[in-house]
Amino acid sequence: MSVVASPPPDEIAPAAAERRARAARYARARADLAEGLRAAWLWQALAAQDVRLRYRRSMLGPLWLTLSTAVMVAAMGFLYARLFGMDAHAYIPFLSTGLIVWQFISGIVAEGCQTFLDVQSIIQQTKIPYSAHAYRSVYRNILVLAHNMIIVPAVFGILGQPVGWRVLAMLPGVAVLCVNGVWMSLLVGMASARFRDIPPIVANVLQLLFFVTPVFWKPESLGRWRTVAEYNPLFAAIDVVRAPLLDQTPAPHSWPILAGLTVGGGAVAFVLFARFRSRIAYWV
Amino acid sequence: MAFLALRDVTVEFPIYQGSSRSLKKAIVASSTGGNLARDALDRVQVRALDGLTLDIADGDRVGLIGPNGSGKTTLLKVLGGVYEPSRGQMLSSGRVSSLLDVSLGLNPEATGRENIVLRGMYMGIRPRDMRPRIEDVAAFTELGPYLDMPVRTYSAGMMIRLAFATSTCIPPDVLLMDEWLAAGDAHFLEKAQRRMEDFVRRSSIMVLASHSMDLLKRWCNKGVYIRHGKLIAYEAIDAVIAIYQEQRQR
Repeated sequence: MSVVASPPPDEIAPAAAERRARAARYARARADLAEGLRAAWLWQALAAQDVRLRYRRSMLGPLWLTLSTAVMVAAMGFLYARLFGMDAHAYIPFLSTGLIVWQFISGIVAEGCQTFLDVQSIIQQTKIPYSAHAYRSVYRNILVLAHNMIIVPAVFGILGQPVGWRVLAMLPGVAVLCVNGVWMSLLVGMASARFRDIPPIVANVLQLLFFVTPVFWKPESLGRWRTVAEYNPLFAAIDVVRAPLLDQTPAPHSWPILAGLTVGGGAVAFVLFARFRSRIAYWV
Repeated sequence: MAFLALRDVTVEFPIYQGSSRSLKKAIVASSTGGNLARDALDRVQVRALDGLTLDIADGDRVGLIGPNGSGKTTLLKVLGGVYEPSRGQMLSSGRVSSLLDVSLGLNPEATGRENIVLRGMYMGIRPRDMRPRIEDVAAFTELGPYLDMPVRTYSAGMMIRLAFATSTCIPPDVLLMDEWLAAGDAHFLEKAQRRMEDFVRRSSIMVLASHSMDLLKRWCNKGVYIRHGKLIAYEAIDAVIAIYQEQRQR
Protein backbone atom coordinates (compact mmCIF):
# COMPACT_ATOMS: atom_id res chain seq x y z
CA MET A 1 0.00 0.00 0.00
CA SER A 2 1.27 3.43 -0.80
CA VAL A 3 0.25 6.66 0.79
CA VAL A 4 0.77 10.03 -0.79
CA ALA A 5 -0.34 12.47 1.80
CA SER A 6 -0.03 15.90 3.20
CA PRO A 7 -1.55 16.14 6.65
CA PRO A 8 -5.07 17.58 6.67
CA PRO A 9 -4.90 21.29 7.47
CA ASP A 10 -7.89 21.39 9.79
CA GLU A 11 -7.64 22.27 13.44
CA ILE A 12 -3.89 22.35 13.67
CA ALA A 13 -2.06 25.51 14.55
CA PRO A 14 -0.42 26.86 11.37
CA ALA A 15 3.11 26.49 12.75
CA ALA A 16 2.54 22.91 13.83
CA ALA A 17 0.87 22.10 10.53
CA GLU A 18 3.84 23.56 8.67
CA ARG A 19 6.21 21.45 10.78
CA ARG A 20 4.24 18.31 10.09
CA ALA A 21 4.10 19.04 6.39
CA ARG A 22 7.85 19.52 6.34
CA ALA A 23 8.47 16.27 8.23
CA ALA A 24 6.23 14.46 5.74
CA ARG A 25 8.17 15.96 2.82
CA TYR A 26 11.48 14.76 4.25
CA ALA A 27 10.06 11.30 4.84
CA ARG A 28 8.84 11.13 1.24
CA ALA A 29 12.21 12.30 -0.09
CA ARG A 30 14.00 9.62 1.93
CA ALA A 31 11.53 7.00 0.72
CA ASP A 32 12.10 8.17 -2.86
CA LEU A 33 15.87 7.72 -2.57
CA ALA A 34 15.44 4.25 -1.03
CA GLU A 35 12.80 3.07 -3.51
CA GLY A 36 15.02 4.32 -6.31
CA LEU A 37 17.86 2.15 -5.04
CA ARG A 38 15.55 -0.86 -4.92
CA ALA A 39 14.69 -0.26 -8.58
CA ALA A 40 18.34 -0.87 -9.49
CA TRP A 41 17.30 -3.43 -12.10
CA LEU A 42 15.38 -0.67 -13.88
CA TRP A 43 17.99 2.08 -14.05
CA GLN A 44 20.84 -0.31 -14.74
CA ALA A 45 18.99 -1.77 -17.72
CA LEU A 46 17.96 1.68 -18.96
CA ALA A 47 21.49 3.08 -18.62
CA ALA A 48 22.98 0.10 -20.45
CA GLN A 49 20.47 0.62 -23.22
CA ASP A 50 21.30 4.35 -23.38
CA VAL A 51 24.93 3.51 -24.06
CA ARG A 52 24.07 0.79 -26.58
CA LEU A 53 21.59 2.92 -28.50
CA ARG A 54 23.86 5.93 -28.68
CA TYR A 55 26.18 3.94 -30.92
CA ARG A 56 23.62 1.62 -32.44
CA ARG A 57 24.36 2.03 -36.13
CA SER A 58 28.08 2.53 -35.84
CA MET A 59 30.60 -0.20 -36.54
CA LEU A 60 32.62 0.17 -33.35
CA GLY A 61 29.63 0.71 -31.10
CA PRO A 62 30.44 1.94 -27.62
CA LEU A 63 34.13 1.39 -28.38
CA TRP A 64 33.91 4.80 -30.05
CA LEU A 65 34.03 6.16 -26.52
CA THR A 66 37.36 4.45 -26.02
CA LEU A 67 38.69 5.45 -29.40
CA SER A 68 37.83 9.13 -29.18
CA THR A 69 39.45 9.43 -25.78
CA ALA A 70 42.50 7.54 -27.05
CA VAL A 71 42.87 9.94 -29.98
CA MET A 72 42.61 12.90 -27.64
CA VAL A 73 45.21 11.44 -25.28
CA ALA A 74 47.61 10.77 -28.14
CA ALA A 75 47.21 14.20 -29.72
CA MET A 76 47.31 16.22 -26.52
CA GLY A 77 49.95 14.01 -24.93
CA PHE A 78 52.74 14.76 -27.34
CA LEU A 79 51.79 18.39 -27.92
CA TYR A 80 51.52 19.42 -24.29
CA ALA A 81 54.50 17.37 -23.17
CA ARG A 82 56.52 19.59 -25.53
CA LEU A 83 54.70 22.80 -24.55
CA PHE A 84 55.25 22.16 -20.88
CA GLY A 85 58.76 20.85 -21.50
CA MET A 86 57.95 17.57 -19.80
CA ASP A 87 59.00 14.01 -20.46
CA ALA A 88 56.26 12.33 -22.48
CA HIS A 89 56.74 9.11 -20.52
CA ALA A 90 55.78 10.89 -17.32
CA TYR A 91 53.23 13.24 -18.84
CA ILE A 92 51.07 10.90 -20.93
CA PRO A 93 49.99 8.63 -18.03
CA PHE A 94 49.16 11.76 -16.01
CA LEU A 95 47.17 13.25 -18.88
CA SER A 96 45.29 10.10 -19.86
CA THR A 97 44.15 9.29 -16.32
CA GLY A 98 43.25 12.93 -15.63
CA LEU A 99 41.29 13.21 -18.85
CA ILE A 100 39.34 10.02 -18.22
CA VAL A 101 38.35 11.06 -14.71
CA TRP A 102 37.49 14.54 -15.94
CA GLN A 103 35.22 13.10 -18.62
CA PHE A 104 33.51 11.02 -15.94
CA ILE A 105 32.88 14.05 -13.73
CA SER A 106 31.88 16.46 -16.48
CA GLY A 107 29.69 13.79 -18.07
CA ILE A 108 27.76 13.37 -14.84
CA VAL A 109 27.32 17.11 -14.39
CA ALA A 110 26.41 17.86 -18.01
CA GLU A 111 24.02 14.93 -18.39
CA GLY A 112 22.72 15.67 -14.91
CA CYS A 113 20.96 18.68 -16.43
CA GLN A 114 18.85 16.30 -18.49
CA THR A 115 18.10 13.95 -15.56
CA PHE A 116 14.41 14.87 -15.52
CA LEU A 117 14.00 16.74 -18.81
CA ASP A 118 14.92 13.70 -20.90
CA VAL A 119 12.31 11.52 -19.23
CA GLN A 120 9.57 14.11 -19.24
CA SER A 121 6.91 11.82 -20.74
CA ILE A 122 7.74 9.06 -18.28
CA ILE A 123 7.57 11.37 -15.27
CA GLN A 124 4.22 12.65 -16.51
CA GLN A 125 2.71 9.22 -16.84
CA THR A 126 4.10 6.65 -14.47
CA LYS A 127 5.16 6.66 -10.90
CA ILE A 128 8.85 5.91 -10.81
CA PRO A 129 10.97 7.26 -7.92
CA TYR A 130 12.60 10.51 -9.06
CA SER A 131 15.92 9.36 -7.68
CA ALA A 132 15.92 6.42 -10.12
CA HIS A 133 16.46 8.92 -12.98
CA ALA A 134 19.51 10.34 -11.20
CA TYR A 135 20.89 6.86 -10.52
CA ARG A 136 20.40 6.04 -14.20
CA SER A 137 22.39 9.07 -15.28
CA VAL A 138 25.27 8.29 -12.91
CA TYR A 139 25.28 4.61 -13.83
CA ARG A 140 25.42 5.48 -17.54
CA ASN A 141 28.55 7.51 -16.85
CA ILE A 142 30.06 4.62 -14.92
CA LEU A 143 29.58 2.47 -18.03
CA VAL A 144 31.27 5.16 -20.13
CA LEU A 145 34.10 5.31 -17.59
CA ALA A 146 34.51 1.55 -17.84
CA HIS A 147 34.97 1.86 -21.60
CA ASN A 148 37.48 4.66 -21.22
CA MET A 149 39.42 2.79 -18.56
CA ILE A 150 40.55 0.34 -21.25
CA ILE A 151 42.96 3.08 -22.28
CA VAL A 152 44.83 3.07 -18.98
CA PRO A 153 46.47 -0.38 -19.25
CA ALA A 154 47.02 0.29 -22.97
CA VAL A 155 48.91 3.52 -22.29
CA PHE A 156 50.97 1.97 -19.49
CA GLY A 157 51.66 -1.04 -21.68
CA ILE A 158 52.86 1.05 -24.64
CA LEU A 159 55.09 3.13 -22.38
CA GLY A 160 56.50 -0.07 -20.87
CA GLN A 161 55.29 0.69 -17.38
CA PRO A 162 53.82 -2.09 -15.26
CA VAL A 163 50.10 -2.13 -14.50
CA GLY A 164 49.31 -4.02 -11.36
CA TRP A 165 46.51 -4.55 -8.94
CA ARG A 166 47.29 -1.11 -7.57
CA VAL A 167 44.79 0.31 -10.05
CA LEU A 168 42.10 -1.13 -7.79
CA ALA A 169 43.11 1.55 -5.27
CA MET A 170 41.11 3.99 -7.39
CA LEU A 171 37.84 2.29 -6.45
CA PRO A 172 37.17 4.19 -3.18
CA GLY A 173 37.63 7.44 -5.10
CA VAL A 174 35.28 6.34 -7.87
CA ALA A 175 32.69 5.28 -5.29
CA VAL A 176 32.78 8.68 -3.56
CA LEU A 177 32.50 10.43 -6.94
CA CYS A 178 29.38 8.37 -7.67
CA VAL A 179 27.77 9.49 -4.41
CA ASN A 180 28.56 13.08 -5.37
CA GLY A 181 27.22 12.38 -8.84
CA VAL A 182 23.83 11.44 -7.42
CA TRP A 183 23.30 14.65 -5.46
CA MET A 184 24.73 16.66 -8.33
CA SER A 185 22.31 15.06 -10.80
CA LEU A 186 19.35 15.71 -8.51
CA LEU A 187 20.41 19.30 -7.97
CA VAL A 188 21.20 20.36 -11.54
CA GLY A 189 18.40 18.14 -12.80
CA MET A 190 15.83 20.01 -10.73
CA ALA A 191 17.39 23.40 -11.49
CA SER A 192 17.34 22.66 -15.23
CA ALA A 193 13.74 21.50 -15.12
CA ARG A 194 12.75 24.74 -13.44
CA PHE A 195 15.05 27.14 -15.27
CA ARG A 196 15.76 26.21 -18.85
CA ASP A 197 18.82 28.46 -18.96
CA ILE A 198 20.73 26.18 -16.64
CA PRO A 199 21.90 23.52 -19.16
CA PRO A 200 23.75 25.98 -21.46
CA ILE A 201 25.21 27.76 -18.42
CA VAL A 202 26.47 24.47 -17.01
CA ALA A 203 27.97 23.49 -20.37
CA ASN A 204 29.87 26.79 -20.56
CA VAL A 205 31.09 26.66 -16.99
CA LEU A 206 32.30 23.10 -17.45
CA GLN A 207 34.32 24.10 -20.48
CA LEU A 208 35.93 26.90 -18.52
CA LEU A 209 36.61 24.63 -15.55
CA PHE A 210 38.37 22.13 -17.78
CA PHE A 211 41.06 24.71 -18.46
CA VAL A 212 41.44 26.18 -14.98
CA THR A 213 41.45 22.82 -13.19
CA PRO A 214 44.67 20.83 -13.14
CA VAL A 215 43.44 18.17 -15.57
CA PHE A 216 46.15 18.37 -18.21
CA TRP A 217 48.60 20.51 -16.26
CA LYS A 218 50.15 19.88 -12.88
CA PRO A 219 49.45 22.10 -9.89
CA GLU A 220 53.22 22.28 -9.34
CA SER A 221 53.57 24.40 -12.47
CA LEU A 222 51.85 27.26 -10.64
CA GLY A 223 54.86 27.60 -8.32
CA ARG A 224 53.88 29.35 -5.13
CA TRP A 225 50.24 29.49 -6.26
CA ARG A 226 49.96 25.74 -6.39
CA THR A 227 47.81 25.55 -3.26
CA VAL A 228 45.15 27.57 -5.07
CA ALA A 229 44.87 24.79 -7.62
CA GLU A 230 44.94 22.12 -4.93
CA TYR A 231 42.01 23.67 -3.08
CA ASN A 232 39.91 23.42 -6.22
CA PRO A 233 37.27 20.80 -5.33
CA LEU A 234 37.38 19.47 -8.88
CA PHE A 235 41.10 18.86 -8.52
CA ALA A 236 40.41 16.99 -5.28
CA ALA A 237 37.81 14.89 -7.07
CA ILE A 238 40.19 14.02 -9.89
CA ASP A 239 43.14 13.54 -7.56
CA VAL A 240 41.58 10.80 -5.42
CA VAL A 241 41.14 8.63 -8.51
CA ARG A 242 44.15 9.69 -10.54
CA ALA A 243 46.82 9.52 -7.83
CA PRO A 244 46.22 5.82 -7.02
CA LEU A 245 46.29 5.02 -10.75
CA LEU A 246 49.70 6.67 -11.00
CA ASP A 247 50.87 4.90 -7.84
CA GLN A 248 51.03 8.17 -5.94
CA THR A 249 49.36 9.46 -2.81
CA PRO A 250 46.64 12.09 -3.28
CA ALA A 251 47.49 15.65 -2.25
CA PRO A 252 46.98 16.17 1.51
CA HIS A 253 43.84 18.29 1.11
CA SER A 254 42.12 16.15 -1.50
CA TRP A 255 40.25 13.67 0.69
CA PRO A 256 39.12 16.24 3.31
CA ILE A 257 37.85 18.59 0.58
CA LEU A 258 36.00 15.78 -1.15
CA ALA A 259 34.51 14.56 2.13
CA GLY A 260 33.29 18.09 2.85
CA LEU A 261 31.84 18.33 -0.65
CA THR A 262 30.04 15.01 -0.26
CA VAL A 263 28.48 15.90 3.08
CA GLY A 264 27.77 19.57 2.35
CA GLY A 265 26.56 19.13 -1.22
CA GLY A 266 24.58 16.07 -0.27
CA ALA A 267 22.83 17.93 2.55
CA VAL A 268 21.97 20.95 0.39
CA ALA A 269 20.71 18.75 -2.44
CA PHE A 270 18.64 16.64 -0.06
CA VAL A 271 16.94 19.66 1.49
CA LEU A 272 16.10 21.07 -1.93
CA PHE A 273 15.00 17.67 -3.19
CA ALA A 274 12.62 17.29 -0.23
CA ARG A 275 11.33 20.81 -0.79
CA PHE A 276 10.73 20.64 -4.54
CA ARG A 277 10.43 16.93 -5.37
CA SER A 278 6.68 16.98 -5.89
CA ARG A 279 7.03 19.99 -8.21
CA ILE A 280 9.24 18.20 -10.71
CA ALA A 281 6.23 16.63 -12.44
CA TYR A 282 4.86 20.13 -13.11
CA TRP A 283 8.19 21.60 -14.17
CA VAL A 284 9.19 19.16 -16.88
CA MET B 1 -7.61 -5.94 -2.49
CA ALA B 2 -7.07 -2.93 -4.65
CA PHE B 3 -8.51 0.43 -3.74
CA LEU B 4 -8.10 4.12 -4.40
CA ALA B 5 -9.07 6.72 -1.85
CA LEU B 6 -8.91 10.49 -2.12
CA ARG B 7 -9.39 12.64 0.96
CA ASP B 8 -10.05 16.30 0.31
CA VAL B 9 -7.49 16.35 -2.48
CA THR B 10 -6.54 19.69 -3.97
CA VAL B 11 -4.03 20.05 -6.77
CA GLU B 12 -2.67 23.45 -7.64
CA PHE B 13 0.09 24.18 -10.02
CA PRO B 14 1.83 27.25 -11.23
CA ILE B 15 1.75 27.83 -14.96
CA TYR B 16 5.17 28.62 -16.30
CA GLN B 17 5.34 30.45 -19.53
CA GLY B 18 8.45 30.89 -21.57
CA SER B 19 9.37 34.08 -19.80
CA SER B 20 8.74 33.30 -16.14
CA ARG B 21 10.73 30.12 -16.56
CA SER B 22 13.92 31.92 -17.39
CA LEU B 23 16.56 32.48 -14.81
CA LYS B 24 17.13 36.02 -16.07
CA LYS B 25 13.68 37.03 -15.08
CA ALA B 26 13.99 35.51 -11.62
CA ILE B 27 17.31 37.27 -11.01
CA VAL B 28 16.15 40.58 -12.42
CA ALA B 29 13.04 40.30 -10.30
CA SER B 30 14.96 39.63 -7.13
CA SER B 31 17.38 42.49 -7.70
CA THR B 32 14.97 45.18 -8.82
CA GLY B 33 11.93 44.39 -6.72
CA GLY B 34 8.87 46.43 -7.51
CA ASN B 35 6.83 45.68 -10.58
CA LEU B 36 9.03 43.07 -12.08
CA ALA B 37 9.12 41.06 -8.90
CA ARG B 38 5.39 40.94 -8.80
CA ASP B 39 5.46 39.91 -12.40
CA ALA B 40 7.76 36.97 -11.81
CA LEU B 41 6.41 35.85 -8.46
CA ASP B 42 2.70 36.45 -9.05
CA ARG B 43 2.57 33.28 -11.06
CA VAL B 44 -0.74 32.16 -12.40
CA GLN B 45 -1.87 29.36 -10.11
CA VAL B 46 -4.28 26.87 -11.56
CA ARG B 47 -6.43 24.90 -9.17
CA ALA B 48 -7.01 21.77 -11.20
CA LEU B 49 -8.68 19.77 -8.44
CA ASP B 50 -10.56 21.31 -5.58
CA GLY B 51 -11.24 19.35 -2.38
CA LEU B 52 -12.03 16.02 -4.00
CA THR B 53 -13.06 13.10 -1.78
CA LEU B 54 -13.58 9.81 -3.54
CA ASP B 55 -13.50 6.09 -2.71
CA ILE B 56 -13.01 3.54 -5.44
CA ALA B 57 -13.17 -0.11 -4.42
CA ASP B 58 -12.43 -3.50 -5.95
CA GLY B 59 -14.63 -4.26 -8.91
CA ASP B 60 -15.47 -0.64 -9.66
CA ARG B 61 -15.47 0.46 -13.29
CA VAL B 62 -15.49 4.20 -13.02
CA GLY B 63 -16.23 6.52 -15.91
CA LEU B 64 -14.85 10.05 -15.61
CA ILE B 65 -17.11 12.67 -17.13
CA GLY B 66 -16.60 16.38 -17.45
CA PRO B 67 -16.14 19.13 -20.00
CA ASN B 68 -12.70 19.91 -21.41
CA GLY B 69 -10.38 21.32 -18.78
CA SER B 70 -12.48 20.09 -15.89
CA GLY B 71 -9.58 18.17 -14.34
CA LYS B 72 -10.16 14.65 -15.67
CA THR B 73 -6.57 14.09 -16.75
CA THR B 74 -5.21 15.70 -13.59
CA LEU B 75 -7.37 13.35 -11.54
CA LEU B 76 -6.02 10.36 -13.48
CA LYS B 77 -2.50 11.58 -12.81
CA VAL B 78 -3.17 11.94 -9.10
CA LEU B 79 -4.64 8.43 -9.01
CA GLY B 80 -1.59 7.14 -10.85
CA GLY B 81 0.74 8.78 -8.34
CA VAL B 82 2.27 11.15 -10.90
CA TYR B 83 1.02 14.32 -9.23
CA GLU B 84 1.19 14.60 -5.48
CA PRO B 85 -1.76 16.51 -4.02
CA SER B 86 -0.85 19.98 -2.78
CA ARG B 87 -3.41 19.41 0.00
CA GLY B 88 -5.27 16.37 1.24
CA GLN B 89 -4.22 12.78 0.81
CA MET B 90 -4.29 9.93 -1.66
CA LEU B 91 -4.18 6.32 -0.54
CA SER B 92 -3.93 3.39 -2.88
CA SER B 93 -3.15 -0.27 -2.99
CA GLY B 94 -2.33 -2.50 -5.94
CA ARG B 95 -0.17 -2.12 -9.04
CA VAL B 96 -1.40 0.86 -11.00
CA SER B 97 -0.96 1.08 -14.75
CA SER B 98 -1.80 4.14 -16.80
CA LEU B 99 -2.73 3.98 -20.45
CA LEU B 100 -2.69 7.74 -20.88
CA ASP B 101 -0.35 7.88 -23.82
CA VAL B 102 0.22 4.70 -25.77
CA SER B 103 3.63 5.77 -26.97
CA LEU B 104 5.04 5.98 -23.44
CA GLY B 105 8.67 5.01 -23.26
CA LEU B 106 8.98 3.92 -26.88
CA ASN B 107 12.52 4.45 -28.00
CA PRO B 108 12.64 5.11 -31.76
CA GLU B 109 16.17 3.72 -32.16
CA ALA B 110 15.44 0.41 -30.44
CA THR B 111 13.78 -2.48 -32.25
CA GLY B 112 10.19 -3.53 -31.71
CA ARG B 113 11.21 -6.45 -29.54
CA GLU B 114 13.50 -4.27 -27.41
CA ASN B 115 10.70 -1.78 -26.97
CA ILE B 116 8.38 -4.48 -25.68
CA VAL B 117 10.84 -5.14 -22.86
CA LEU B 118 11.50 -1.43 -22.39
CA ARG B 119 7.87 -0.51 -22.01
CA GLY B 120 7.40 -3.42 -19.66
CA MET B 121 10.14 -1.98 -17.46
CA TYR B 122 8.38 1.38 -17.28
CA MET B 123 5.28 -0.51 -16.18
CA GLY B 124 7.31 -2.05 -13.38
CA ILE B 125 7.78 -5.46 -14.99
CA ARG B 126 11.27 -6.89 -14.88
CA PRO B 127 12.81 -7.98 -18.19
CA ARG B 128 13.00 -11.60 -17.03
CA ASP B 129 9.24 -11.59 -16.35
CA MET B 130 8.57 -9.88 -19.66
CA ARG B 131 10.63 -12.17 -21.86
CA PRO B 132 8.24 -15.15 -21.75
CA ARG B 133 5.49 -12.84 -22.98
CA ILE B 134 7.34 -11.32 -25.90
CA GLU B 135 6.14 -13.93 -28.37
CA ASP B 136 2.54 -13.48 -27.27
CA VAL B 137 2.84 -9.73 -27.75
CA ALA B 138 4.66 -10.18 -31.05
CA ALA B 139 1.93 -12.46 -32.37
CA PHE B 140 -0.78 -10.03 -31.40
CA THR B 141 0.84 -7.09 -33.20
CA GLU B 142 1.10 -9.08 -36.48
CA LEU B 143 4.17 -7.01 -37.25
CA GLY B 144 6.24 -10.06 -38.19
CA PRO B 145 9.73 -9.17 -39.41
CA TYR B 146 9.24 -5.51 -38.55
CA LEU B 147 9.69 -6.42 -34.88
CA ASP B 148 13.41 -6.66 -35.50
CA MET B 149 13.57 -3.24 -37.10
CA PRO B 150 13.96 0.04 -35.22
CA VAL B 151 10.65 1.58 -34.21
CA ARG B 152 11.57 4.80 -36.02
CA THR B 153 10.77 3.02 -39.29
CA TYR B 154 7.22 2.23 -38.14
CA SER B 155 4.08 3.95 -39.32
CA ALA B 156 1.86 5.54 -36.68
CA GLY B 157 -0.55 2.62 -36.85
CA MET B 158 2.23 0.08 -36.38
CA MET B 159 3.53 1.99 -33.40
CA ILE B 160 0.10 1.96 -31.77
CA ARG B 161 -0.19 -1.79 -32.37
CA LEU B 162 3.10 -2.37 -30.63
CA ALA B 163 2.38 -0.07 -27.73
CA PHE B 164 -1.15 -1.37 -27.24
CA ALA B 165 -0.15 -5.02 -27.33
CA THR B 166 2.67 -4.44 -24.87
CA SER B 167 0.77 -2.37 -22.37
CA THR B 168 -2.12 -4.82 -22.29
CA CYS B 169 -0.08 -7.99 -21.84
CA ILE B 170 -0.14 -8.01 -18.04
CA PRO B 171 -3.31 -6.76 -16.37
CA PRO B 172 -2.63 -4.37 -13.49
CA ASP B 173 -4.74 -4.17 -10.34
CA VAL B 174 -5.73 -0.62 -11.17
CA LEU B 175 -6.10 0.48 -14.77
CA LEU B 176 -6.26 4.19 -15.65
CA MET B 177 -7.20 5.22 -19.17
CA ASP B 178 -7.67 8.52 -20.94
CA GLU B 179 -10.16 8.32 -23.81
CA TRP B 180 -10.33 5.20 -25.86
CA LEU B 181 -7.43 3.86 -27.78
CA ALA B 182 -7.84 4.67 -31.41
CA ALA B 183 -5.83 1.77 -32.62
CA GLY B 184 -5.09 1.28 -36.30
CA ASP B 185 -7.30 -0.22 -38.98
CA ALA B 186 -10.70 -1.85 -38.62
CA HIS B 187 -9.34 -5.37 -38.39
CA PHE B 188 -6.97 -4.42 -35.61
CA LEU B 189 -9.54 -2.31 -33.86
CA GLU B 190 -11.83 -5.29 -33.51
CA LYS B 191 -9.02 -7.44 -32.24
CA ALA B 192 -7.94 -4.71 -29.84
CA GLN B 193 -11.46 -4.40 -28.55
CA ARG B 194 -11.55 -8.09 -27.66
CA ARG B 195 -8.18 -7.95 -25.95
CA MET B 196 -9.21 -4.82 -24.10
CA GLU B 197 -12.36 -6.48 -22.81
CA ASP B 198 -10.35 -9.35 -21.46
CA PHE B 199 -7.75 -6.99 -20.03
CA VAL B 200 -10.31 -4.82 -18.27
CA ARG B 201 -12.05 -7.91 -16.90
CA ARG B 202 -8.86 -9.13 -15.31
CA SER B 203 -7.96 -5.87 -13.56
CA SER B 204 -9.74 -5.11 -10.33
CA ILE B 205 -10.33 -1.40 -10.83
CA MET B 206 -10.67 0.66 -13.98
CA VAL B 207 -10.97 4.42 -14.27
CA LEU B 208 -11.72 5.64 -17.78
CA ALA B 209 -12.01 9.25 -18.88
CA SER B 210 -14.05 9.72 -22.03
CA HIS B 211 -16.44 12.00 -23.83
CA SER B 212 -18.30 9.12 -25.44
CA MET B 213 -21.37 8.32 -23.37
CA ASP B 214 -21.99 5.08 -25.26
CA LEU B 215 -18.54 3.88 -24.36
CA LEU B 216 -18.93 4.83 -20.72
CA LYS B 217 -22.32 3.13 -20.48
CA ARG B 218 -20.91 0.00 -21.99
CA TRP B 219 -17.79 -0.24 -19.85
CA CYS B 220 -18.51 1.39 -16.53
CA ASN B 221 -20.82 0.75 -13.62
CA LYS B 222 -20.08 3.98 -11.79
CA GLY B 223 -19.58 7.53 -12.92
CA VAL B 224 -17.68 10.52 -11.58
CA TYR B 225 -18.70 13.92 -12.88
CA ILE B 226 -16.26 16.73 -12.20
CA ARG B 227 -16.44 20.34 -13.26
CA HIS B 228 -13.90 23.08 -12.50
CA GLY B 229 -12.02 20.52 -10.42
CA LYS B 230 -14.95 19.92 -8.11
CA LEU B 231 -16.86 16.69 -7.65
CA ILE B 232 -20.42 17.19 -8.86
CA ALA B 233 -21.70 13.62 -8.74
CA TYR B 234 -20.44 10.12 -7.94
CA GLU B 235 -23.00 7.35 -8.37
CA ALA B 236 -24.23 4.77 -10.88
CA ILE B 237 -23.08 5.59 -14.40
CA ASP B 238 -26.57 6.09 -15.87
CA ALA B 239 -27.52 8.55 -13.14
CA VAL B 240 -24.30 10.51 -13.56
CA ILE B 241 -24.71 10.70 -17.33
CA ALA B 242 -28.26 11.96 -16.82
CA ILE B 243 -27.03 14.72 -14.47
CA TYR B 244 -24.27 15.65 -16.86
CA GLN B 245 -26.55 15.90 -19.87
CA GLU B 246 -29.16 17.83 -17.97
CA GLN B 247 -26.56 20.37 -16.81
CA ARG B 248 -25.18 20.75 -20.30
CA GLN B 249 -28.56 21.53 -21.78
CA ARG B 250 -29.19 24.30 -19.31
